[in-house]
Amino acid sequence: MKSVFSLCVQMSRPSIILKFILGLLWGIIHLAISLFNLWSLLIYNIECYLISSGLLWKYRDLHLDRLKYLAIVVASKEAKNNMKIRQLLCWLSTIGVKYVCLYDIEGILKKSFEPAMNGLRDGKAGEYLDIGASVNYSHCGHKEMVIEWLSGSDGKEGIAKAANLLCSTYFSENTHGNGKREPTFTEADMASALKAVGCGGPEPDLLLMYGPARCHLGFPAWRLRYTEIMHMGPLKSMKYGAIVKALYNFSKKYQNYGKLGFQL
Amino acid sequence: MGLFERVINKSVAEFLREGIRLRVIGDSSRLPVSLQKIAREAEEATRNNSQLDLTLAISYSGRRDIVQACRSLARKVHDKVLRPEDIDESLLAAELETSPANKLPYPDLLIRTSGELRLSNFLLWQSAYSELFFTDTLWPDFGEDDYLEALVSFQSRDRRFGVRKKL
Repeated sequence: MKSVFSLCVQMSRPSIILKFILGLLWGIIHLAISLFNLWSLLIYNIECYLISSGLLWKYRDLHLDRLKYLAIVVASKEAKNNMKIRQLLCWLSTIGVKYVCLYDIEGILKKSFEPAMNGLRDGKAGEYLDIGASVNYSHCGHKEMVIEWLSGSDGKEGIAKAANLLCSTYFSENTHGNGKREPTFTEADMASALKAVGCGGPEPDLLLMYGPARCHLGFPAWRLRYTEIMHMGPLKSMKYGAIVKALYNFSKKYQNYGKLGFQL
Repeated sequence: MGLFERVINKSVAEFLREGIRLRVIGDSSRLPVSLQKIAREAEEATRNNSQLDLTLAISYSGRRDIVQACRSLARKVHDKVLRPEDIDESLLAAELETSPANKLPYPDLLIRTSGELRLSNFLLWQSAYSELFFTDTLWPDFGEDDYLEALVSFQSRDRRFGVRKKL
C-alpha cells in the first residue's frame, strides 16, 4: 500500500512541474502582450498630445477642402454622454468642419440635442445639403457649423418608407393605366423617394465611429457608398489629437469613386 | 472577367470534393455571356453541397441590390400578393440578393483589403452590424496570418448588434 502511494506521488510530480512551467509560460506571454499594448497606448497618447499642442508640423495646417460632409456614429450607450458630445462638436467646429451628421441607432442624440441646440433651423443649409428636417445651425468657437441628427428611423426604416412610396406610386399608376407596366425603378428614383420621405442627404466623405465595436450600426445605407470609415475607439477616451490625425489621414487619401479605367 | 472564368472553371472540382456551395450575386446581365454560363453551371453543379457557402459578388452594387428589392416588391404589389402599406424593413430585406430565402446571412465580419477604408458600395444594407476590419494587405497576398489577425480583432470587440429599446 505504501509503495503504491509513493509510486502515485512520483508519477504526479512531473505533471505538477509541467503544469507549473506551462502556467508560467502563459503568464509570461500574457505579460508580454500586456506590456506591448501598454506601450502602444503610451505612444498613441504621446502622439495625440504632440498633435494637440501643435508640435507636429504636418498636422498644423489641415486642408479640409475635400471634407464637405463629416459623419459621426456613436454607440447608443455612449450617446448619453452629453458633455462629450458637446466637446466633440466644439472641437470639430474649431478645426473648421462645416457640416457634420451625428447618428446613433436609438435616436438618443436626436432627442437630447436637437431641441436644445443653440441656434436656428438653417433652411438654406438644409436645401443645399438636400437634408430633411433634423438640421441645426451651431456656433462654437466663433465658427459656424451645420449639424444633422440621424437615428435608426432614418436608416433601414427610411429606405423601407421610400420603397413604400415608390410601390404606392407604381401601384396607383398601374391602377389608372393599362396595368402591365414592369417596375423600372432606378437609383435616381430611390434617391428622390428618400428625399420625399425626409431621409435624403449627402453622402458623407468621412465617417468616424465611436464605440466598442467597429460597426456603422445601421447608418443610412444609401449614403455610405464611398465614405471613408475610421474607428476612433470609445467616446469617453476621445482625443483632439486623434481627430486631427484622422482628418489629416483623410486629406491624404486618394479616391477614384468607383470610376473604371476601362470598359467591361 | 477572364480571370473569373478560369478560376471558377478550375475550382468546380474542388468545390464538389469539399462540399462547397457556390452562389454568384450581382447584375449578371452586364457580364460576358461566357462568364454567365460558367457561373450558372457551377452554381447548378454545387447546389446540393452544404459544408461551406461561398458567394461571389460580381458586378454587385449595394444600391442596385436595394433598388432591385424594391422592384421585386413592386411586382408583388402588382400581383396583389401584398399592399404598398405593408412594405417594411423585413419585407425589403427578404428581397435582397442575400436574403434569408437564399440563406445568405448578414456577415459578422467584413474584411476590406488593400488599405482602403470604405465599403465601396458593397453590402450597404447587410453590413449594419458587421465588424469592419481594414487591412493594408493586397487581396492576392491575403493569407492565413492576415485572416487570423482579422479574427483576433473580431474576438476582442464588444458586439451588441444594435439592440434597440422601443422609444
